[in-house]
Amino acid sequence: MLKIENLHVSVENRPILKGLTLEVHPGEVHAIMGPNGAGKSTLAAVLAGREGYEVEEGTVTLDGKNLLEMPPEDRSYAGLFLAFQYPVEIPGVSMVQFLRAALNAHRAAQGKDPIEVSDLMKLLREKAALLKLDPAFLTRSVNEGFSGGERKRAEIFQLAVLEPRVAILDETDSGLDIDALRLVADAVNALRHPERAFVVITHYYRILQYIRPDKVHILADGRIVRSGGPELALELEEKGYESLLARV
Amino acid sequence: MSVFTSEKLSLEAGADHLMQLLRKAAVHPIPSEVSLSTLFTQQRLKEEWKYTPLDFLRYPWELTEIQPTSFPFPLAHSADETNLVPPLPEMRSPWDTLLLHTAHHKHYEIQGESALPIGLHNSGGAAPLLITVYVRANSSAEIGLFVEGKGLSLLRLHLHLEEGAHARLYIPYTEDNPESYTYFLVSAEIKERATLESYDFVARAHWKRSEMRIRLTGKEARAYLVGATLTRSGGMNDFTLRVEHYAPHTESNQFFKSLVHTGGRSVFQGNIYVHPHAQKTNAYQSHKSLLWDAGASAYSRPQLEIFADDVRCTHGVTTGFLQGDMLFYLLTRGIPTAQARQILASAFLNEAVEKIPHPDFRRFTEREMELFL
Repeated sequence: MLKIENLHVSVENRPILKGLTLEVHPGEVHAIMGPNGAGKSTLAAVLAGREGYEVEEGTVTLDGKNLLEMPPEDRSYAGLFLAFQYPVEIPGVSMVQFLRAALNAHRAAQGKDPIEVSDLMKLLREKAALLKLDPAFLTRSVNEGFSGGERKRAEIFQLAVLEPRVAILDETDSGLDIDALRLVADAVNALRHPERAFVVITHYYRILQYIRPDKVHILADGRIVRSGGPELALELEEKGYESLLARV
Repeated sequence: MSVFTSEKLSLEAGADHLMQLLRKAAVHPIPSEVSLSTLFTQQRLKEEWKYTPLDFLRYPWELTEIQPTSFPFPLAHSADETNLVPPLPEMRSPWDTLLLHTAHHKHYEIQGESALPIGLHNSGGAAPLLITVYVRANSSAEIGLFVEGKGLSLLRLHLHLEEGAHARLYIPYTEDNPESYTYFLVSAEIKERATLESYDFVARAHWKRSEMRIRLTGKEARAYLVGATLTRSGGMNDFTLRVEHYAPHTESNQFFKSLVHTGGRSVFQGNIYVHPHAQKTNAYQSHKSLLWDAGASAYSRPQLEIFADDVRCTHGVTTGFLQGDMLFYLLTRGIPTAQARQILASAFLNEAVEKIPHPDFRRFTEREMELFL
């Protein structure tokens, strides 16, 4: 479904990703772990189409379609979703207004009519409940004045509303206390589906205790240096990056 | 022949010509030393007009009387004209002297609770008008000021708020006729426990300057000034504000936003003055400019003059382009670029628009601004 082959990416002429290859199948959860500076966030950014990232070599396809040629909004229609490490505050735009625009753009891309407001509100309330978000947050400005935990929950809430094919969670666990982490993990688990895949980018083992990955990859210096099952994450937790990477 | 097709004057000759006209329109003779040429010579005036184009001085204007027209949204009417003139403020500029003496004047008195919608249409000449509103103690007023048409509209408004009075001034502005120039010169005297709120919203403009001088002269007097402008190509909007705190425990807030397109110009000059007697003053000022495209201009000048030591004054000025990370966030959710930009522009202005307390004025502003977002 999501196929990354030999991806080389540089930022301001500095190579960051140096031949990354990864294939994700429907229904799978992949964890990408790695030390700081390995290229984890660059991977997330380049997949979502952020400007300033130069693809030097390699391909990325989603369901056979070339993702790298698409502007960010088309990647979203193709079924890609990025949960941001640092969700952006949008003062003056309510969550309802924001998701209404997003959802209707998705529907337009599928040739469907805009959603009725009553149906929209029903959908948003239902998904907010899944993340135990107070419905009042729907009328607040996007991410404005949200706590770190609320922002991360709001990202997963958006994921639940937009129902992507592939969701990339970029360090969604960072800044979450244990209760919020459980909530987020429960929501992600509830959203697991045979037709949907997750790529969980994280520094820590902790979140993987709650979201069980099918495959674990270690990213170091712009490449995946080891892949394995969930036991690899545990090994990493016990031995640390340094000793594990020294053996590679 | 229209003044717009006549040969243009030099700025100095135009200033002399306009001054002669305004002298003719005065009730009492104006001392000969009063001159608009000081706009080019006197340092303070030069500073105050530094970023504001004076090209309207180049037209050989003829005097005209500005006519009433309907106000753009419903505002209950009940205040009547009166002969009562509040004490006028000291003259601060030649404009003040020329306009405070003009024979074209209207005076209103508000007692109890009342509204005063003033709609004006200029057919194309130089139109001086003085309006004074005397708001009695503990009375409450809603005052609307709307000008449309072409020509040079010179509106001098003076508000006098007695103890405990509350006035809201609504300025909806939508005139972008390339032959229109509107200069609002507003002063207000605010006594003890009185509050002035002003909402100045410019959905489009060719040339408009709102110059406000607010004097807080009684204890616990408050001034709350809010405004926003959407300035497009060929348009100029200028907010020049001076809030003067003369009494202790006074409070003021200036909250302004400017969105400027290519070829548009926005000027903001916000001054807070705190007199040595005005201890425990609370004063805030915020002006944010969003440059929509390359080739947009925003001039922003905050000024604080504080002569008391126990005060709280904060100010913040930002000018910049749309933040790329905000736009990217919307795009990743599937919102197309044009729509994402429109949402962000409207959100930017909305921070000010949502402060408008009158629902019809708020809707009017939203509708007029949306046309060009």
